[in-house]
Amino acid sequence: MHEFSLAQGLVSQLLALADQHNALKICTVRVAIGSQAGIVADSFAFGFDVLSRENGLLKDAVLEIIETHPQHRCLDCGGIMPFTLTKPSCSQCGSQRLASVGGDDLILSQIEME
Amino acid sequence: MCDTCGCASPSTPESRKTLDVHASLLAENNRQADENRHHIEHMGAFAINLISSPGSGKTTLLERTIERLGGELRIGVIEGDIETERDAQRIRAKGVPAVQLTTGGACHLDARLVHHGLHELEHQSHHHGFDLIFIENVGNLVCPATFDLGEHERIVLVSVPEGSDKPAKYPKSFTSSQTFLITKTDLLSHFDFSLDEAKREAVRLNPNLTIFELSATTGDGFDAWISYLRQRVG
Repeated sequence: MHEFSLAQGLVSQLLALADQHNALKICTVRVAIGSQAGIVADSFAFGFDVLSRENGLLKDAVLEIIETHPQHRCLDCGGIMPFTLTKPSCSQCGSQRLASVGGDDLILSQIEME
Repeated sequence: MCDTCGCASPSTPESRKTLDVHASLLAENNRQADENRHHIEHMGAFAINLISSPGSGKTTLLERTIERLGGELRIGVIEGDIETERDAQRIRAKGVPAVQLTTGGACHLDARLVHHGLHELEHQSHHHGFDLIFIENVGNLVCPATFDLGEHERIVLVSVPEGSDKPAKYPKSFTSSQTFLITKTDLLSHFDFSLDEAKREAVRLNPNLTIFELSATTGDGFDAWISYLRQRVG
């Protein structure tokens, strides 16, 4: 349920940017959410819809969510490989000491405004 | 198609502009968390954020820890709950300053709430400073993992009755923590909890995790836990 408070944060950020750039309306909002960010994208989108409906600047805004994914980094040889949940081992040196990197983004990447 | 007259012109009006922002949605929280970290360091303290499901023994862990360390370290506690002062009262009964933050429904603490908590904690201690500050998050293994509070170390707890599959089911709490405590180990013989599975899954997610097995009832594991804390603060 913290998706709603994150959506509130996004709305404040958007209103501040609109003010800064003298925009009359925000048309598109592109947000990157990592699959490991602990955010349910649908709930976040729902929160954004509810909040943006109340605001003239945002009422027609389309939210585009781009999902990002983590990778595995080998702690022994430094190799980078795709993330997998099933018994991962390094494709280069065979080590099982793999750390997940990235995929926890929660980023407002781009907006289109008029 | 043009929105105004229906002609074939591109629908994107010339007045539309694209702005690359690339700012974290947590930017404001993270800024406040860094400020909290400075504040805590200025107080001379080391801060720990405790995360777990409700009922895995966070407050009991603090009570036992204060009994062992309260005489040698200046400890302060910030308690996060949705409602009630109960946890803070339990901590104050051990003779240590405790601030209760009630979120009024929110499922996690954020850096802004903790900022207020730190000021209140200083006030309660008459500004005598702290060596060790515990922030006990709202009982929830999901949402608190997203919010930096300004802590130096994040510790995740799983109790034996919850089951050894918790690390695999709630990975973010384990990838974002530095330490993992398995609590209520005196109940191992009564539950189908595999220490091996819990530890293996947790280390698979985060190979750098430090792990302790504790029982607040028998005191098992507390010697190692207490010397670990002494070393972290020292």
